[in-house]
Amino acid sequence: MTDPIEEYRRRYEGFLQAVARRLQGHIESHLEGVPNIERVTARAKDPARFAEKARRTDKDGHAKYDKPLTEIQDQVGARVIVLYRDDVISVVSVITRYFQPIEQRELVPESQWAFGYFGQHLVLPLPRDVVPGDVPLNVVPRFFELQVKTLFQHAWSEANHDVGYKSRAPLSTDQERLLAYTAAQAWGADRAFAELRSEVRS
Amino acid sequence: MPIQRVHSFLVYPAKHAEEQPEISGTRIPRRGRLYVMLTNVFDRARDECDIEIVFRQGEGGQQQNDCRDLLMAYAQDPSVRNGRLLASRLQVVTTHRSGLGLLFLMKGARDGNHQLVISRFPADQGVIAQEHAQQLSVEFIERVFMKSAKAYKSALYSSDSLQRGFWDGRAVDRQISGPRELSDYWIHDFLASELRTTGPAGTKRLAVALRSAIRSVEELGIRQELISAASLLRGQHGRRRSTRQMLEQLGLSRPAALALEAAFPRADLMDEIFEFDQEEFQRHAPYRAVELDNGGLLIAEDARFAEVFQQEVLNLADKRVRYVTEGRVIDESLRKTK
Repeated sequence: MTDPIEEYRRRYEGFLQAVARRLQGHIESHLEGVPNIERVTARAKDPARFAEKARRTDKDGHAKYDKPLTEIQDQVGARVIVLYRDDVISVVSVITRYFQPIEQRELVPESQWAFGYFGQHLVLPLPRDVVPGDVPLNVVPRFFELQVKTLFQHAWSEANHDVGYKSRAPLSTDQERLLAYTAAQAWGADRAFAELRSEVRS
Repeated sequence: MPIQRVHSFLVYPAKHAEEQPEISGTRIPRRGRLYVMLTNVFDRARDECDIEIVFRQGEGGQQQNDCRDLLMAYAQDPSVRNGRLLASRLQVVTTHRSGLGLLFLMKGARDGNHQLVISRFPADQGVIAQEHAQQLSVEFIERVFMKSAKAYKSALYSSDSLQRGFWDGRAVDRQISGPRELSDYWIHDFLASELRTTGPAGTKRLAVALRSAIRSVEELGIRQELISAASLLRGQHGRRRSTRQMLEQLGLSRPAALALEAAFPRADLMDEIFEFDQEEFQRHAPYRAVELDNGGLLIAEDARFAEVFQQEVLNLADKRVRYVTEGRVIDESLRKTK
């Protein structure tokens, strides 16, 4: 039986990076003319991160993914960064015209008293247009994940990932509070720009 | 043995019915002529099911779909009980127009994947003739189910994961070009799915490929055919077909079809079925064609149409216009053919 982690590495080196590059161009072409798009990126999941995810277990110690090559849906991921909060809605509206989502969620902290990750996440069928002609379709992920975020949401999640997840020791309560504070600032900045934009336009 | 379990259910038309009829179901033994016929259906599903579909997301946008849940329950435990839940789902969306049907659920394995095939055969009428000791009895029967019936519908799901797989599949609906009510019944209402390729996505791909093919092809006759196709394709609005099927309908020559295929990102995308969207096509259309009531036909690159043909309104109420253009004739064959 093929080791899924080894198989993923083969796919990553063989064609997934090319698929991601093409996907980026494909999404850019759909978003042509949509204002305030800061950037569009796409990547194939790094093999080390795929391996880490594939080995995850649930609270009972059972493997979370029985068939990681099928079940991990962000093997290919794309991100659209926009200037303002309203632009997220415009982008999602265009994207759902060209893709049939199987999931579309606005990720927000669980409580209104908490601050943390914000962003729109969609799981979409991977368009065959981005698969090189010599790659058989049965080895290509069927879906990809798309995130749509404002610049502030993006900046916060990148810094949070760097500081929070890469910390050698668990963060202290005070450090966690500091992270929540920066998230609140990012949320406030988005809110302030939305209001300013609305006032300037009216 | 590819098929591991087969169940069959008699499904009544009971959309909007106050009381749902009881659904009879049975497990089909893995022997005999019926099993051979169903094995054939199971094996041929990959070729016959040519419409790629995906389940719709949940109402709150979560990755959940009621029909898929039933399908997964059956795939994990192919029993009469779980099958009947799928049959009930079909029954509540079945109108009298679709009529009585026999549903087959086939669970098996192929190429290392779990494979599930769902097929519905409509009831038909027939005559049964039987010989009994030099006597012939002829009887009219009302519940005949034939795979060759025009309204045959099927769906195929294949995945190695019975947890998170089966989000997409393939379907066939022989009435797909018929009235919307019927074409929506199988894929939209029962399977709670949509075409994998949205209308705008498929249409844009076709328009962009057409534009690219027209620019790159050197032979004038082929270019002319592609330009005509670009104009005629507008009449396909709302139709669910593959590009190849549309080209066949337009009678495009093989060299012209090959030129278009070469402009597609992948040749197999020519066979992907989508719903043609005229508005989207217009947005990316390579050429704009204007036909006048005097028989005149003006064609120019869409982006440059207004520059090539200057329009003058002669009578606004009567919609009479005059077009003016100026240039050197570089080829007359297009005009002669027209």
